[in-house]
Amino acid sequence: MVGLPYDCLSNPLGAVRFAFDKALSSSDSAAALDGKDFGAADLFLRFLDNGGLLKVPLLNSKTIKWLQPNTLVRFRGMIQDMLGNEFYVGAYKDRDVWRTNKYADVSQSPMGSPSNSQIWERRLIYCTPVPGQNDWTEPSASCIHLETLGKEKRQRDEDAVMEDLSSQTEGFPCPKRMREGDTATPSSTIHGVPAEGISSMAMVPSDVDKENLSCLVKIYDSPESDLKLNDVFEFVGILTFDQDISMEKDNKDDPENTICEDLLVDLLPSKVPRIHCLVHRKLAQSDFLPGPVTLEPKPHLVKPIREALLGHLTTLLGNDGVAAQYMLLHLLSRVHARIDTVAVGKLALNLTSLTNESISVFKNRILCILKTLLPFTHDVPLTVELLNAGPLAPRKDYDSNRLLSGPLQLAEGSHLTIDETQLKAGSLDSTGIDNTRVLKSLLEWQKVDYDFTYYKVEMPADVQLLILSEGKSNILPADIVLPFCPSSVDSLGTPNAESLAAWRWYLATMRSLTHSIEPDMQKVLEDDLVAARQTDRSLGTQDFSRLLTMGRLLSISFGETCLSMEHWQMVKELERLRRERLQGRI
Amino acid sequence: MASDSSPVNTHGPSSPDDLTSSPINNTYSSPGRPAASSQSGGAFSTPPRPQSTSRFATPAATPSSTNPRPSGRRASSTTSTPLAAATPPTSTGNLSPSSPPSSDGGGGGDGGGLPMYVWGTNISVQDVNAAILRFLRNFREGVSDIEGKYMNAIHHVIEVEGDSLEVDAHDVFDYDSDLYTKMVRYPLEVLAIFDIVLMDLVSKIEPMFEKHIQTRVFNLKSSISMRQLNPSDIEKMVSVKGMIIRCSSIIPEIREAIFRCLVCGYYSDPIVVDRGRVSEPTVCQKQECLARSSMTLVHNRCRFVDKQIVRLQETPDEIPDGGTPHTVSLLMHDKLVDAGKPGDRIEVTGIYRAMTVRIGSTQRTVKSLFKTYIDCLHIEKNSISRLHAEDFMETENGTPDQVQVEKLEALSKQPDIYERLTKSLAPNIWELDDVKRGLLCQLFGGNALTLPSGASFRGDINILLVGDPGTSKSQLLQYIHKLSPRGIYTSGRGSSAVGLTAYVAKDPETGETVLESGALVLSDKGICCIDEFDKMSDNARSMLHEVMEQQTVSIAKAGIIASLNARTSVLACANPIGSRYNPRLSVIDNIHLPPTLLSRFDLIYLILDKADEQTDRRLAKHIVALHFENPEKSVHDIIDLPTLTAYVSYARNHIHPQLSDEAAEELTRGYVEMRQRGNFPGSSKKVITATPRQLESLIRLSEALARIRFSKLVEKQDVMEATRLLEVALQQSATDHSTGTIDMDLITTGVSASERMRRENLVSDTRNIIMEKMQIGGPSTRIMELLEEIKKQSSAVEIHLNDLRNALSTLATEGFVVVHGDSVKRI
Repeated sequence: MVGLPYDCLSNPLGAVRFAFDKALSSSDSAAALDGKDFGAADLFLRFLDNGGLLKVPLLNSKTIKWLQPNTLVRFRGMIQDMLGNEFYVGAYKDRDVWRTNKYADVSQSPMGSPSNSQIWERRLIYCTPVPGQNDWTEPSASCIHLETLGKEKRQRDEDAVMEDLSSQTEGFPCPKRMREGDTATPSSTIHGVPAEGISSMAMVPSDVDKENLSCLVKIYDSPESDLKLNDVFEFVGILTFDQDISMEKDNKDDPENTICEDLLVDLLPSKVPRIHCLVHRKLAQSDFLPGPVTLEPKPHLVKPIREALLGHLTTLLGNDGVAAQYMLLHLLSRVHARIDTVAVGKLALNLTSLTNESISVFKNRILCILKTLLPFTHDVPLTVELLNAGPLAPRKDYDSNRLLSGPLQLAEGSHLTIDETQLKAGSLDSTGIDNTRVLKSLLEWQKVDYDFTYYKVEMPADVQLLILSEGKSNILPADIVLPFCPSSVDSLGTPNAESLAAWRWYLATMRSLTHSIEPDMQKVLEDDLVAARQTDRSLGTQDFSRLLTMGRLLSISFGETCLSMEHWQMVKELERLRRERLQGRI
Repeated sequence: MASDSSPVNTHGPSSPDDLTSSPINNTYSSPGRPAASSQSGGAFSTPPRPQSTSRFATPAATPSSTNPRPSGRRASSTTSTPLAAATPPTSTGNLSPSSPPSSDGGGGGDGGGLPMYVWGTNISVQDVNAAILRFLRNFREGVSDIEGKYMNAIHHVIEVEGDSLEVDAHDVFDYDSDLYTKMVRYPLEVLAIFDIVLMDLVSKIEPMFEKHIQTRVFNLKSSISMRQLNPSDIEKMVSVKGMIIRCSSIIPEIREAIFRCLVCGYYSDPIVVDRGRVSEPTVCQKQECLARSSMTLVHNRCRFVDKQIVRLQETPDEIPDGGTPHTVSLLMHDKLVDAGKPGDRIEVTGIYRAMTVRIGSTQRTVKSLFKTYIDCLHIEKNSISRLHAEDFMETENGTPDQVQVEKLEALSKQPDIYERLTKSLAPNIWELDDVKRGLLCQLFGGNALTLPSGASFRGDINILLVGDPGTSKSQLLQYIHKLSPRGIYTSGRGSSAVGLTAYVAKDPETGETVLESGALVLSDKGICCIDEFDKMSDNARSMLHEVMEQQTVSIAKAGIIASLNARTSVLACANPIGSRYNPRLSVIDNIHLPPTLLSRFDLIYLILDKADEQTDRRLAKHIVALHFENPEKSVHDIIDLPTLTAYVSYARNHIHPQLSDEAAEELTRGYVEMRQRGNFPGSSKKVITATPRQLESLIRLSEALARIRFSKLVEKQDVMEATRLLEVALQQSATDHSTGTIDMDLITTGVSASERMRRENLVSDTRNIIMEKMQIGGPSTRIMELLEEIKKQSSAVEIHLNDLRNALSTLATEGFVVVHGDSVKRI
């Protein structure tokens, strides 16, 4: 351990110190290191790029049991709330040596005179697991880590014995509450990994939410625009658990403490692990695929996968080929541009003609396949009670000064199924009306108004919406209304793991393909649209948008990045079939 | 440490005369003093102490008065020790303010009369002292003022026995920019000196004045966004705008404690609270008693001050995309307590402070964290509520700085500014240029005018867009809503009358009835966008009558009778009644709106979907581009949204064009011409093509157009363009389709003059026929027969059964015939 000043995995703080000392030697004052990275992040980035990433254990509700504080961990989550900035003593002089508190909660040695310290700033963000994340995205706990960690643990245990002794002599009854500030012994400050060596079970605070592990992530030196609300990120950083549970209670009589009351009361350090983030990266859907990506998005490779998936969807939807086609396009849709208020690229699908009998069969089938294909899925049975129960959109609770998540705080690329067949006649109260408005704006503009009591803040969303209803939904005006005509209910073969993996890869990769159009194709489109409008005056911008979105999606579903005549014809044919169905119903 | 607090105690109740010198005896003349005694936990060094003592001594002397700031300052000066590098404590000099800074040049040596420096800087305390004195004595607002502004103010404060003097930081800057800089950078020190100087002045004017007067600085040169507060701002004076979201209950904070001996009943001297801690005497101080542990606190003889913690949150316009609003804590004392309530938009001037987060007292570990807050000096409410706010956009954007103003001025000088603005407005909505021009006028607005007689003329321009579905009306609305921060977007379908105007609600906590503003009141001085206007309930729409002409909302319910300002421009859009516009019907028939309301719109645009291949092609091209091209590429040479907003806001706030004579003449001429158009040569019928409402609209539009050019004068060209705009709008909406002329009657009554004439003709024809064919009291005739008869006589005009029925009912009211179902009988 001594010989490894930068074992990034088990002693990240040592590596931070190493970088800090190195940076100090090249600049004369610690003040110069404010607001920028002093090399630690670079160091870790290099480590991660060289295959280190996979060695970093993932922090989740399962692994938290055996992860040690002050080690390097990975956490994947959605930014649920931003808690503002925090000022901390970034660097201070311990006797004659500058030390840093960066990437740590507490200082390792007593801080000397105030004149010799620097105040730096870091951002606090609160991350939760991505809402609606499906099981298959969670990588199975890898055994590699267990082994290496096991070895380290033994070492640590030895240290721990010593430390236990020393702390006990100081009169601390519980090793959990041992030194953080008073470990000025040279050995431990150099070694870094403070020997929090108790059996690993003891490290898990008893009241951590086991199911939904949220994290308070502290971000350093990163521009504000990097991290946005509802983004899905992977953070690599140093895990800390503050053992000091008594902290909040102690100072009730202290008048100054009333100022800082709200912010962290809910986030008791004992409940929410902290991660001092060294490296963060935004995740795309393809990052959630369990296996390594081997395929290339080439048309000839994609086509068989598409066919297989389409076939499966057709069977699933009771041999309704048209519905399967639309479903495929719907699953590939995403908002790829926002122009003024228009969200271009969304394709919300409304399957109508679902009766009470068919809904029971098909709803489960659809939900099931969505769960296995997409990383984040949700399902909302729309009822009057639900609408009236409480706000669907997130809102700010000023008592706790936190953003309370609602069912509509969704990560980019989530899929939301709304079952309107459950909706019975009933009266909506003002909450209910608000909720329908929020749902409508999500459908029409892909935006959710977050309620901040005194004003609303519009948050862009990118959610695929599937609406199941008996008739055309008026509350939720979807882009595509398709009467659903199943002809048979065949039993569904379970797709094998290989094809499932391929389909997941297909959906995650294809949707992010870029797309363009040749000038002469553009001309064809324009002519077609004009001609269509000349024959049917009721066609409007929305209809044109729908056609073009479909054209785009259809061609990327084949892995093409350019719209071809053939695909355009297919789109028109699909639309014709759909219109026939609509008219047939009327 | 004991020595630090001792001056306070010894000087305890002293006369005001002593005040000036009391803080002085413990000072350090040089920065060389070692930063002392860092013990454990909340260790603090001594240098800050004299500072707080000096600030503190005064209230100690005047027990009746209250001193808002010291506690905050004291508290933090004790807790925020590590900050001392950034915030040097003052060595509040050995100066009695009355002593002139004579030793200025004495250099930095040791000894008696040496100059005092603000610790860690080269700012001389004496210099600052003198500068403040000069400023207070000599600052005059106008050249001609005999008395200085602040000398007046001080006299006033003394008269009313106030406890604070408000100092406009702009004045400080104008008088002595150096002092301003020092004040902002070292507010603790400079304000302490400020107070000393002030008290010295006061005691000279009125020796018996006992209260302590605080300096409250406000109106800093620049305010900072909450997001930008960073460690370098700590202990600086900052000014932050935001919205109060939460107020704590009022916390009584003990300032002076008095103890009584349980044994002998001896009352101790007031003990000043030190860093939030009372040093309770362990031994009775009475020589005869000296009982141990006998002292008990006497609550009702202690002195308390009010304290309140308020949370301030960013206003929506400052939140970047994908962010959540930041908040900051404010610490308020005394007079500032309850000065604002949740929901208020305020601008706060104060000192940004940080203090360490302490871990439990049993622990010796130091958490390296700070909590930050703003120690408030002054609160300015931006709008008590939105009802009384100044012009829109102003509050959200602040006053633009000089550079930006120049940029905007330069922009306004461009000859094609009108065209460019038009192009920049909703660039992704193609065509509809004239509609956009109208909307532009609405954004800029005309001048509101109130005559001495009380009559007022609105300056807001109301626009109605009527059109076929899918003609991007809603997008235009959304765009305007986005552009105008004070705008409210609402849909007619979901709006009720109270939701639009105002309603009375019971506060769930207090049970008080409170007046809640609706959309129209909230968008006072802004634009209220109402989508699906036609779907609005009649009840709700009738509320708009008052709003659109009188610009107020009057309500009388639940014991509250109020008339609220709703100086809002209404931008409404409606679908035609049969979902598609029927060109054969009048606007009124098409949109099913009461004419009274319709006539209150200055401009009514019909956005019709013409079956025109050219337009279709453009639409197709536009949408294809929207989907497949880089959105940035398709737009060029347009003014970006922030500039546009700044431009509009600047124009609205600073440009108030007047009508030039030439323009007035043109207005008269144009109006007369419009009216004359109704008189056809050789025709006796009178068609009203324009009404005084149109003249008012013309004036408003011309003013708006002048504003667009940043012109102080409304010129002839503006009037001509306004006339054109109005005509474009009228031609579309008020054209009588059977004659092709503009007819205001279409708007005001829904029936055009030619139609009216036709009906009259029919009535007289019918009467003639009935006179001919039927006898009084004779057998009844079927209507169909009558119709045949009339058709025979007047072959030229096609007559419908309905028309005839109308004519007959007119005759029936005259008592000429009786109509029973299908039969007509003459009486």
